[in-house]
Amino acid sequence: MKRTVLIACLLLLAPTTQSAEPLSPIESYRKLDFPPQDENFEKGWKDRVAADYDVINLADLTSLRAALKDGDPFVRSIAAYALGVRSDKASADALAELVKNDKEYVVRIRAVEALALLKMKPEVIESAKKDHDPGVPFVAKLVAGQVNSEIDYAAQIRHAYAAGIDREAMGSAVVGKPAPDFTALTLDGKPFQLSSVLGKKPIAIYFAAFDG
Amino acid sequence: MHQQAQLRLKKDAVEKLGAEAYVVMALDTYRTKVFKEENWLLGGGTGPFGKETSIVYATPLSDPAGRASAIYGVSRRALRWGSWVENYPHWFVIDRKGIITYVLKPTFGTPTAYQDDVDNVIKELEKAAR
Repeated sequence: MKRTVLIACLLLLAPTTQSAEPLSPIESYRKLDFPPQDENFEKGWKDRVAADYDVINLADLTSLRAALKDGDPFVRSIAAYALGVRSDKASADALAELVKNDKEYVVRIRAVEALALLKMKPEVIESAKKDHDPGVPFVAKLVAGQVNSEIDYAAQIRHAYAAGIDREAMGSAVVGKPAPDFTALTLDGKPFQLSSVLGKKPIAIYFAAFDG
Repeated sequence: MHQQAQLRLKKDAVEKLGAEAYVVMALDTYRTKVFKEENWLLGGGTGPFGKETSIVYATPLSDPAGRASAIYGVSRRALRWGSWVENYPHWFVIDRKGIITYVLKPTFGTPTAYQDDVDNVIKELEKAAR
């Protein structure tokens, strides 16, 4: 009888479901409800931003390097970019391989960006200027000069990501409400705080895309 | 880029209002500098900005992690029309009290839609200056 009660108690105490391990940053990115495909442009952007921050800030280098061979092109893309931002020079050969041979242009774009941040393989960046997809030569031409610059742009980007992002703050700019403050950089790399000019004069801010 | 080029044509109106104009790129300072100083997209052609080397009048700001863009709700980080796009471009007008008074999401619906967009921004800046 005692034995039966003991077993019953143990069964009651045992978790009914396995407590799930938290997903790694790479796995979270892979499982985005709205991956960065064209048709999802207006959907799920907050999740994409949060996932980007997690991959760049938290993913371990071993996982990022392995993800360069992932079957999902968006996972390969974010891994390539993150390795550039993290200044992982050991990935240069693998990134060059992606630039030359990956079948998805978004991966080739991100790998070119990464090589420029690493300041390595300028000949590969040069060759990307002849890529058959127009998005790749555009980016190759845009970032080629970074290779010879003395400025560590990867460190600049890392520092910006390290500040993190508060999900509640995303999308908080609303008509009729105070303009949310933000920090950015001037062209000479000095910090600019919007609050330093707010409330003093009328302001127009355009958040731009390179071609828009 | 057209939006910035058009604003440059209207810079006298902006200055008359004592207003400040900023353009934020979700890119590192290198690429933001190229955006500011080189007229890649509109240069060389026969269009209204074809002969100019720099067409950006607003003060450029680099937002390397796209944090400001996310706070302002314009971040996208997705493919669009064959390119990787960090932001959906938007205008914000802020008045003398620091309140957002106007948000414009350009439609790019016609080849010259940017003219109306910038005219609307100037009108809203006039109201914001009062």
